[in-house]
Amino acid sequence: VTGAAVALLLAAVTLAVAQSDAGPASLWRHAYHAPVALAAVRWGGRGLLVALAAVLLWAPFVLPALERSGPTPEVLEGLATFGFLLGSGALSATLTSRARRQGARYETLVAVGRAIGGAGGLDAALDRVGACLAPRLGGAVGLAVRDGGRFAVAGGVAVHPDSPVARVVAGGPPCFESDAGGGPRPRRLFVVPISAAGATLGALALEREGDIAGDERAALLALGAHLGLALEHARLGARQRRFAAELAGKVAEATRRVVEMDRMKSDFVAVASHELRTPLTALQGFSELLATRRFAPSEVARLGAIMAGETERLGRIVSDFLDLARLERGLAPPLRRRQVDVGALVGDAVEVLRRARSTHRFDVECAGALPPLEADPDALDRVVKNLVANAVKYSPPGSRVAIRAGRGPAPPPTVEIVVEDEGPGIAEADLARVFEPYYRAPGTAGAAVGAGLGLAVVKSLVDAHGGTIRAENRAPRGTRMTLTLPAVS
Amino acid sequence: VDALEQPLGAGPPPILDTSPLPALAALALGWTAVVALAAAGLVTPVAADVAGLAAAHGALLGTALAWTAPPETDDRWAPLEAAALVTVAATWAQVAVAGWLAWAAVPAWALLRRPAWARTSVAGLAGGAVFGLLLGGHLLVTAALTLGHGVREPALDLGPWWGYDVGANVLAAEAFFRGALFTRAHRRWTFPLAAAAATAASVARYLVDPLLPRAVEMIAGAAFYLALLGAGNCWLVARTGSLLPALAASTLFFAAYRLLGAR
Repeated sequence: VTGAAVALLLAAVTLAVAQSDAGPASLWRHAYHAPVALAAVRWGGRGLLVALAAVLLWAPFVLPALERSGPTPEVLEGLATFGFLLGSGALSATLTSRARRQGARYETLVAVGRAIGGAGGLDAALDRVGACLAPRLGGAVGLAVRDGGRFAVAGGVAVHPDSPVARVVAGGPPCFESDAGGGPRPRRLFVVPISAAGATLGALALEREGDIAGDERAALLALGAHLGLALEHARLGARQRRFAAELAGKVAEATRRVVEMDRMKSDFVAVASHELRTPLTALQGFSELLATRRFAPSEVARLGAIMAGETERLGRIVSDFLDLARLERGLAPPLRRRQVDVGALVGDAVEVLRRARSTHRFDVECAGALPPLEADPDALDRVVKNLVANAVKYSPPGSRVAIRAGRGPAPPPTVEIVVEDEGPGIAEADLARVFEPYYRAPGTAGAAVGAGLGLAVVKSLVDAHGGTIRAENRAPRGTRMTLTLPAVS
Repeated sequence: VDALEQPLGAGPPPILDTSPLPALAALALGWTAVVALAAAGLVTPVAADVAGLAAAHGALLGTALAWTAPPETDDRWAPLEAAALVTVAATWAQVAVAGWLAWAAVPAWALLRRPAWARTSVAGLAGGAVFGLLLGGHLLVTAALTLGHGVREPALDLGPWWGYDVGANVLAAEAFFRGALFTRAHRRWTFPLAAAAATAASVARYLVDPLLPRAVEMIAGAAFYLALLGAGNCWLVARTGSLLPALAASTLFFAAYRLLGAR
């Protein structure tokens, strides 16, 4: 429509000038500015061609007059019109083109910001930026940005180490090639750094058949800097979101653990009360019997033995509580170390349990000439008894409990004590948690009595000795507890 | 994108690279010899004119072919081949009634040697033709109004001139100034600079042409129109990557010019 309007205007003005008798001084000549201005505003730089067309249309009215009459004032006016038409056309076209380019640059910056801000990683963002820039810049666009030890690339597969992009990324100046070769038309190439805070993050490359003028190169340099800032902003934003997500996860995990700990403590209070009440009830009942009734000496002795056993049980529970309290305060249990013969200690402990728990078969196997341990014998006795008692507690009557003591893998010299049972084993998810205070694997609370403190106390004692303990399941069934303690070298 | 995946190029070679200097020197020597022989009365002035035409147009066309030769092609002696062909065509045009048709052999030979010059779209060719017609029409109107030149009648006796334009004048000028010089310059410089250099060179070539009338208004008019034609043809070559639209524009413009009979 604009083209037709411009052509009609040019024709109409030319007809009006031709109809006028004023020749080169015709006032209609000024009307040529209308199509020239219209074309410049509509088409920018290409509008200058209309100014040229107006000059060519106006020339036949001026040049013959110049030929006939020489440089008369009218002819000079007509000649001046050439300059005015070309001047106004060039000025309008230049200003329009500049304003459009500026507007297009702002739009490009906004579009680039949007493209970077989308979902996905750096590669996806670069692909979007490349797709956004290619039509706006009228050529092929390549982008390469450092991402750790690799390049995130758009518009290509990889970065050649001697390519213009690699040179610019390595800190070289912007690279301009007037002809990258190939094809009948020259293919310009311009590579600018993508930089932020003085560091080169990558490079932006534009390849195009046709000129990349000086002002456009300056605009591309500014675009590279903007791209660098936008990428850095996006990177910081992503890092912030990642940190926030990690923090939220940690807070949620901590909250969950606190809630679980609270629940376990509540369970512990209930179990501990029950555990304390049982021996207390027995002591109370038997002491009342002894106080109010007379028994035969043998019966008194039996009741006394029962009361002694319950008292021992009560003392063990209180010791566990005290150890746990120290453990929760971050203190190691007090140890009175001396040289301990492991074989004898294991044998004694198992013998005691064998007499108390006749429901299971105990297989004890101690390697000969084991090195002695520098350990607290009472603490070690509690550890072994606890492990063996647990094996008995969580395995069916009649099954076998194996206890082995031997040298650990050297060096340094260690002693390894292994306790195995034929019980149902421990769920894989619970293996790592069985040494936590109050923790009792789901399903075991009703199967066996206990406060969930035994293994936590065992672990604290083993740690205090500088040893390790691990729990694992045996094939096809059963649990294996492996205790490793440093030996005296 | 090559900037990512290819090593940095060495840049374009020097602008006068692959110039066929031995062939040009041989042409200059031959032409000088013929002129000397003509001065001595050993050959006719017509033969000297033919030698001049062949040397000038052969040099331009041959240099254009040498400059635009693909790497695997050796066109160092193309000026001599072109000069020989121009000599044959010009001789036929002199000796036979319809001999001017022989000029058609020169563009056929050149376009066969350089098929890339002829690769263009219909729109590009039409654009060149419209440009040549508009400029030629404007020349006719302005010359008629300003200088009082009418259209020559009958126009049919212009065949030899049109043949000369198609086979030598337009072909050699466009091939060298647009197809070779402008293209080489544009691979180094911006379009305005390259077009200005190529156009200035082509205008200068016509201003020293002995066939151009020496009247001031003719020289001014020639400079004006040839500058417009040159700039427009540079734009056509840059836009289409082909020489054919520029050849069409120049052929039609010179056809209009010949109608003026401004010999």
